[in-house]
Amino acid sequence: MLSFWASLFTWSSFPISAMDAIGGILSLNDQSIPEQIVRDIRLPRALLAATVGACFAAAGVVMQGLTQNPLASPAVLGVNAGAALGMAAVSTITPWFGLLGISMAAMIGGGVAWTLVMILGSAWRGGSDTGRLVLAGVAISALCAAFTKALVIMEEDQASAVLSWLAGSFANGNWETWSLFWPVALFALIGSQLLTPTLNLLQLGDDNAQNLGISLIWTKLAGSVLVLILVGSAISASGSIGFVGLLVPHMARILCGQDHRYFLPLSILMGSALVVLADTLSRGIIFPLETPAGAILALIGAPFFIYLVKKRAS
Amino acid sequence: MSLKSWPLLLVILSLLLVANLMFGAVSISFEGILNGFQADSEHYFTVYEYRFPRTLLAMMVGAMMALAGALVQGVIRNPLASPDVLGVSHGAGLAAVTYMTLLPTSDIAWLPAVALMGGFSAAFVLWWLCGNHSSAIKLAITGVALGALYASTVDFLMLVKPLEINNALLWLTGSLWGRGWNQFFILLPWLGLIPIALWLAKSLNLISLGDDSAISLGVNTNTLRLTSLAVAVGLTASCVAICGPIGFLGLIAPHLTRKLVGGQHQILLPCTMLVGAILLLFADLVARTIDPPIELSAGIMTAIIGAPYFLWLLFKNK
Repeated sequence: MLSFWASLFTWSSFPISAMDAIGGILSLNDQSIPEQIVRDIRLPRALLAATVGACFAAAGVVMQGLTQNPLASPAVLGVNAGAALGMAAVSTITPWFGLLGISMAAMIGGGVAWTLVMILGSAWRGGSDTGRLVLAGVAISALCAAFTKALVIMEEDQASAVLSWLAGSFANGNWETWSLFWPVALFALIGSQLLTPTLNLLQLGDDNAQNLGISLIWTKLAGSVLVLILVGSAISASGSIGFVGLLVPHMARILCGQDHRYFLPLSILMGSALVVLADTLSRGIIFPLETPAGAILALIGAPFFIYLVKKRAS
Repeated sequence: MSLKSWPLLLVILSLLLVANLMFGAVSISFEGILNGFQADSEHYFTVYEYRFPRTLLAMMVGAMMALAGALVQGVIRNPLASPDVLGVSHGAGLAAVTYMTLLPTSDIAWLPAVALMGGFSAAFVLWWLCGNHSSAIKLAITGVALGALYASTVDFLMLVKPLEINNALLWLTGSLWGRGWNQFFILLPWLGLIPIALWLAKSLNLISLGDDSAISLGVNTNTLRLTSLAVAVGLTASCVAICGPIGFLGLIAPHLTRKLVGGQHQILLPCTMLVGAILLLFADLVARTIDPPIELSAGIMTAIIGAPYFLWLLFKNK
């Protein structure tokens, strides 16, 4: 998997410039222009895409583990939309907060949306109807998206730039964003890895997990906080990228089974690979223009979601 | 109750109609509006060319979408169903947008027909995925997922071929921005679907008793289902071709009306048209006046009203 990831990584730096220099550039330190492009533009962007993918994938694994619902993921359950609303509110109404304020707002927004969805879908208790949870998430997403669009139209002149940010794009990724983003992401990823044994026990059902000495409330609280940190920081770095959190855990589960201790790291790797791939496609698909990576992922992800719904029913 | 609420609804509708003509980026007095219909008045352009057709369109679209929602809910007996929840309106929107981006020089008069094909394909895909007997929630989830797929494809097409922001919003959320007499005359023939829908009302009452009872009372349930759904898709698609997929309208209008006048379809269907018209007029009025001269889109307003209502329905439907 690591090599798979690495190969995608280099390929992502490929299409526009540095046609032949690509192999040696990453290790050597010359002064030629293509190499500088790779070092200053492509590399941070690819790193950002990989980290964002890892965050969304890990968040998806934790959410599916907590809710015992195969359809759960940050985008489906409204966390993405809530975080985007928080960000839009802060960046349009009080723009002086800067990047830190924006990530805080994203986490708070996502947290409020997530709490609402969990209450309305009555998912804190075990054995609740999975469909209800998803519909509650979809409705909350619609509501948050409506408010976000209203804010964007009222406060911003550059609405199309914001719309493309809402669809999720790495076009503005640079070293500065990445250096702010990776410590938080690393912390949360390690945290979710520590949570994996507990998630394994939760699979046995809430009652059995409790009998084995797990505090349900603390587990769910810790899991939710981790999800919020992962999603909030990833969204503030790149915008809302849908469907990674849904798609990747299922792919990883097919490859390595149900044990969360192996299945989470695999998801993280696959999430990175998928988002880097989507980002590469987003640059290549209509060459001089950039298509947001999120739009491409949504095009891949939505049919998969439908397939899951259909499979679950039969 | 049913007889009392008729005049009330009509009064609200006419008040909103006048308000829609009066307020906007420039407020016009009541006399100004009356004079505005004469060609020599200073407000002639604003009132007659701009606000009046838009208001008429809002009424027609609101009524047609609400009627489509009532038909779908009546036929599938599913309180969460409506053309937009089932993905039909986004399917129609996708067809319309594809048509416009691929053939930018083509005539917009064909748009409703193209949207109709999109709507029917979306309905067919949904039926193919869900089959004949599936639970309310599964149908809704599949519909929402399909809707998301169509919407993200529209999103993608928008980003590939950037349009003006108001136009893009129109196709993403539904809006009445810039709609005038042209679109009015395109939509006009589709009003012919309304009498068909009303004619179906009596059989819809029987089907709400359950399939077995309806069959023994002489209703051909399969034909009725297909006809009603086809009419509903036609109503939705023609509206979407004009002003984009306005969300939640077809869902909440029938529910509100059922609260007001009860479930008898002969009364429910006309009243739900009034309620739908009122809702969309109101949404468009708020969207235009909240921060003039900037316009929000009516679809955003209906989502802000409609999504909480949907949540409440979901919560109640335990």
